[in-house]
Amino acid sequence: MLLNRETYAKKWIIRPDGEEKVTGKLRYLTDLTAPGMLYGKVLRSRYPHAWILSIDTTKARQLPGVRAVVTAKDVPGMNLFGIAFPHQPVLCHDRVRYIGDALAAVAADTEELAEYALSLIEVVYEPLPVVDDPETALDEGVMKLHPEGNLLHRTSLQQGEMSFAGCAHIVEETYHTPRQMHTYMETEGGLFIPEADGRLTVYSPTQHGYKDRMQLARILAMAEEQIRVISSPIGGSFGGKDELNVQPFGALLALQTGSPIKMHNSRKESVIAGIKRHPMRIRMKTGVDEAGHMVAHQVRILADTGAYATLGCEVLNFATEHAIGPYTIPNIDVEGTSVYTNNGVSGEFRGFGGNQVIFAVESQIERLAEKLGMDAWELRKLNLRAPGDPGPMGQKIVQTEGASQVWSKMMESALWAKRAKLQPGSGQSPPSESQDPWTRRGIGAAMVMHGAGLGLGIPDHSGGRLELTPEGKIQASFGFEEFGQGLYAALTLMLQDVFGCATDDIVIVIGDTDRVPSSGSSTASRATTMMWRALQRLRPPFVHTLLQLASEWAGIAAAELATGAGGIHRIGDEAGTPVVTYAQLAEAAEAAAKPILAHTEFDYPTTPEGLVGAHYLYSYAAVAVEVEVNMLTGRVKVIQTDHVIAAGPVINPMGFLGQIEGGSGMALGFTLTEDAVMKESAYLRHNLDTYLVPTFKDSPHIIRVEAIEELPVGDTFGPRGVGEIGSVGLAPAITAAVRQATGIWVSRLPLSPEDIVQSIDWLERVEAID
Amino acid sequence: MINTTYVLKCAINGKAVAIPVPASKRMSDILRDDLLLTGTKVSCEIGRCGACMVLLDGKPVNSCLLMAYQAAGREVTTIEGISAGEDLHPVQQAMLEEGGLQCGYCTAGMVVTLTALWEINPAPTRAEAEQALCGNICRCTGYEGIFRAVERCGLSIKREG
Repeated sequence: MLLNRETYAKKWIIRPDGEEKVTGKLRYLTDLTAPGMLYGKVLRSRYPHAWILSIDTTKARQLPGVRAVVTAKDVPGMNLFGIAFPHQPVLCHDRVRYIGDALAAVAADTEELAEYALSLIEVVYEPLPVVDDPETALDEGVMKLHPEGNLLHRTSLQQGEMSFAGCAHIVEETYHTPRQMHTYMETEGGLFIPEADGRLTVYSPTQHGYKDRMQLARILAMAEEQIRVISSPIGGSFGGKDELNVQPFGALLALQTGSPIKMHNSRKESVIAGIKRHPMRIRMKTGVDEAGHMVAHQVRILADTGAYATLGCEVLNFATEHAIGPYTIPNIDVEGTSVYTNNGVSGEFRGFGGNQVIFAVESQIERLAEKLGMDAWELRKLNLRAPGDPGPMGQKIVQTEGASQVWSKMMESALWAKRAKLQPGSGQSPPSESQDPWTRRGIGAAMVMHGAGLGLGIPDHSGGRLELTPEGKIQASFGFEEFGQGLYAALTLMLQDVFGCATDDIVIVIGDTDRVPSSGSSTASRATTMMWRALQRLRPPFVHTLLQLASEWAGIAAAELATGAGGIHRIGDEAGTPVVTYAQLAEAAEAAAKPILAHTEFDYPTTPEGLVGAHYLYSYAAVAVEVEVNMLTGRVKVIQTDHVIAAGPVINPMGFLGQIEGGSGMALGFTLTEDAVMKESAYLRHNLDTYLVPTFKDSPHIIRVEAIEELPVGDTFGPRGVGEIGSVGLAPAITAAVRQATGIWVSRLPLSPEDIVQSIDWLERVEAID
Repeated sequence: MINTTYVLKCAINGKAVAIPVPASKRMSDILRDDLLLTGTKVSCEIGRCGACMVLLDGKPVNSCLLMAYQAAGREVTTIEGISAGEDLHPVQQAMLEEGGLQCGYCTAGMVVTLTALWEINPAPTRAEAEQALCGNICRCTGYEGIFRAVERCGLSIKREG
């Protein structure tokens, strides 16, 4: 169903955290202050690669107003961090491997003093040769960035036999994708408070409070329970704040000084030190038979993971798994390589490696269709995975009709009707609203199959808690974080659905390790699914206890009672006055010293077989776009975008729509403008004046989102998350549309207007101007 | 020692204030650090993102580019001064109802710009609305929710295809 305010009126609710946001009242963790707080700043490396011969902090320490200067020797525990395995130094002491590497941190009375103190720290470096090209990083004689060499990870996925002998057409192409920056509006920071009782409170944005707590405990040599991590609200993350950033420095400085430490990265520091989307070079060779059946698909992925591992292995695993898209191909040979360089660190980013390979595989389909003289959408249909087919790694997966549903649904859209009038690859403009003779329009489309959850082999634990508070509120506690995606709204809607209660009856607690159970990371589009599954498990015992107590209170059989607004109602009288209110039940429970609560722990569902990284649940999407290409400037403008998403029941329509529209906007930047360019391993773009994310003017005028909610009867997995899927398929849809508009194939993102202008046939261009 | 302290006298959210600050201190820092009006956000620090947007004598300006002395004798309105008492401004209400925000970090600046547009041009074309809003970057919404809010709060945006 088309997703909008009218069609989903019943569930279209104002997000509970909205009012505080529109009024500016909400305090983000970087807005917090504390009496007597000091300001923390970090000294980053001058070189992308160098030996550190000495670090002299004497002068900085002597500066009045400087309260602490910490270096590697002040790290009491493990001087390493990393979400998957601890690999990145908190503070470097012998070597720097990228310009974001930290050498020292300072706490001072003012931010200016702290910055000045950094300039007084004398570091003697011995610069080393820079490894800035992932292509040559593995060559003989190239300096090793880590003892184990410059190879982080290799993947391999093979099925059938690799031979192109029987192919009628083969397309071989190399695709390049950019180093995209998360560009969350709130840069990293927070407030770090040493408490009187010896504990440390960390108010800092993260996607996984418990993981931060564990890592900080290791770094600080403290017990985990001695640390409290408060992790919401967050001004955007998109994967970028899942890894530790300023937390180790803030924590070290707080413990050293005994004072609260405030940190807030400048945009430039955020660019230099923050993780990015892995740039990938993807070579694909794909063959089809005369009829268009895909026969063989060879893929070579080269990912630049930068100086440290973070989630480089996992991202490459995901890219490898998704390199065949939603298709069945009998002969597959995928190899992935992720290498260390002195470039900025690449890590987790919305879509998790899928965006890069989907751009490549969908582009292959377009090229093959043209060789076959076939409509590319029909070619997709011909090769589309069918219900019952195994997953991309040959693994058992939860079956849905998603692939064919999104394929069919797209054909019903108005945009599709427009596209259908065009000959594939003709370069001929559709009947156009544009009057300028130098503009051309084209329509293109793409498909996505996207795994949810972390995949096999990675601990994917979750849990949640329900309790009736002494005030008579149903309190739901989860270890997830709110970074904009709308967890509060989603959970409110789910709780109302499960208990039939009113908004007033609900209290939600998230993002505070002292108050919530461990639920795993708020990542991989998993939070909504995990909350939903937790409530499925929590509801029976919780409601049972409530109804038992209510039954005793009111002298009515529990079977005749149900939860509702304000309290327990007689079944059939949900609109009436509660038989007993939640507040009365809370009182009774307290009197009996029997708190009403339920707790659950479980794992994200994984495939019972298959290789590491293989997923079990998938969602599907189809996306079509109409573009306008200015043939004089080479600029591409996306006019209209249609998304069809099959991800199960829509829990929170406003959030669902927002995630798809927002993901699409982010993909627009990935396709057209965003690239954190590096030269000799130094960032050339440090702020939003040169790193260009889409603005209002760049946004398509029409974005339609259609949700396919049906799941097979008996599917117990419920709603799948949609945090990522809206960001995956747009790039190949745009480049297909550009092909139709101009006849130009694009294989490098972000697409370059210069390349487009230079690719235009001069005579044709003259004609266009006439 | 020469006393170089400058006292900024201006009106902030309708209240006359006198703040001893360096004359070149950024208004965004004054608001956040000295006055604890943290609704104004700092994101890019160079006037490109609009998160720190305030009204200066009714016109939207990036407060990260506004020096203390430039505000002398003038009226600054921050997000905290947009809603009238307990009631939300129609722009704020529309943003809520249409899903014009997600993480919310750009939202205050967005609302400030939108209220200025609402005052100045109550019936903009799509192009005019884009023009007015293109100094505010949002990384979450893809802008559609914000455009819906623009339409909802009384502006008759002409869709231009």
